[in-house]
Amino acid sequence: MSIEHPTQSSSIVDVLETVLDKGVVIAGDIRVGLADVELLTIKIRLIVASVDKAKEIGMDWWETDPYLNSKAAEQNTKQLEEENKELQKRIEQLEKNAGQSNRFV
Amino acid sequence: MSLYVYLYGMIPAPGNGNHPISSLKGIDNEHEIQIKNYEGISAVFCHVDESEYGEKVLQEKTNDMEWVQEKAFHHHEILMKIRENATLIPMKFCTIYQSEKNLEDMVNQHHDQMKALIDQLEGKEEWNLKVYCDREQLTQSVADHNLNIKEKKDEIAQMSKGRQYLESRKLDQYVQQEADKEQEAFGSALHDQLIKYSVEDTVKKNWNRDVTGKDEEMCWNSAYLVPLEQVENFLEIITNENEKHKDSGWILEATGPWPPYHFAKLNEK
Repeated sequence: MSIEHPTQSSSIVDVLETVLDKGVVIAGDIRVGLADVELLTIKIRLIVASVDKAKEIGMDWWETDPYLNSKAAEQNTKQLEEENKELQKRIEQLEKNAGQSNRFV
Repeated sequence: MSLYVYLYGMIPAPGNGNHPISSLKGIDNEHEIQIKNYEGISAVFCHVDESEYGEKVLQEKTNDMEWVQEKAFHHHEILMKIRENATLIPMKFCTIYQSEKNLEDMVNQHHDQMKALIDQLEGKEEWNLKVYCDREQLTQSVADHNLNIKEKKDEIAQMSKGRQYLESRKLDQYVQQEADKEQEAFGSALHDQLIKYSVEDTVKKNWNRDVTGKDEEMCWNSAYLVPLEQVENFLEIITNENEKHKDSGWILEATGPWPPYHFAKLNEK
C-alpha cells in the first residue's frame, strides 16, 4: 500500500509523542507518573542527537525494525548524504542550545 | 518475588497455528512475550519482575530518559510487529498488572467492549500527518502578495519618519498574523480533503521547534483512521499536495501505518 508513496519513516519525535501519550488508557495495577510528554521528548531528543551516543545506548532501533528497515533500504546514497548534513546541522543547533537544555536536566 | 504482567495489547484470538509474536523477548529483555485467550479475544503480554516494575521502581526509572526511550521504542516495536498480523488494541506504555488474575478480571470486565472495538478497527490503519512550513518564506510571500499589505506599505512610504517607524512595526505584526492565518488555512484545507478517505480523525497540538528539532515550523498535526481500501487515495492526496507546494515552503509528512494509538478507546466502567 505504502510502497508507491514516499512516506517518511517515523522520527524519534513521532514515536515518542505517540507511544508516551496515546494508546488505550485502562486501569493497570501500577501507576506510572510520566512527566510531560513534550518535556520528555525534548530531553530524549537531546540525548539521541549524536549518532555515536545513540549507538552507545542501543538506540539503533531503526536498523532492526523490519518496517523502517525496508524503507531505509530504499533510500539511495544521496538521501543518506542529505540526512547526514541534516544531522550535522541539528547537532550544531543543539550544541548552541546546550545552555538552554540545562533547564530540563 | 512475584511476577507482574506487562500488557501490550489485545487482539482477536488467533485460530489454530502460530501466533505472530512467538519467541520474542519482552520489555525486560528476559521473559518471553505470551498470548492468552479469553473467549474470542487475546491478551499479548510478558511477565516482569516486581522488583523492576513495581510502582516505586518505575517512578524512578521514568526519570531516566535513556530507560524511557529504550522501553518506549520496545513497546512500539512490539506493537508494530503484532499489527502486521492482527487487528490490535494498543495499550498505553507501561500498563502493568500485579497478576494474571488481575489481568483476567480487567479483560472480563471490558470483554464485550474490546471485542466490539476490534471489529471496529479491523481492516483500518492509522496514518499520521504533520505539516511543516518555512516560516520566513511564507511571511515573505504574504508580504509580497497580500493586497492590504501592499497598500499599507505605499501609505507608510508617504508618512513622516517617526510615524513610519511606528506604522512599520504595526504592519510587521499584521503580516505575522496573516501568515498565521495562512498556515491554519493550509492545514485545514488539506485536512478537509483527507477526511473524505478516513473514518475517524483527530487534530493534535503543534509541537514547537525545541521538540521537533526542525528549522521549519510545525503548523498542522493530525491522525486518521483509514480503511485499507482507501489508503492509496489518502496517500495520493498527500503526495500530490507535497509536489504542488514544495516550492512555496510547505512540507507534508505522512507516517504510517501505525498501531491505532489514537483511535482505540475504551470507556472505563
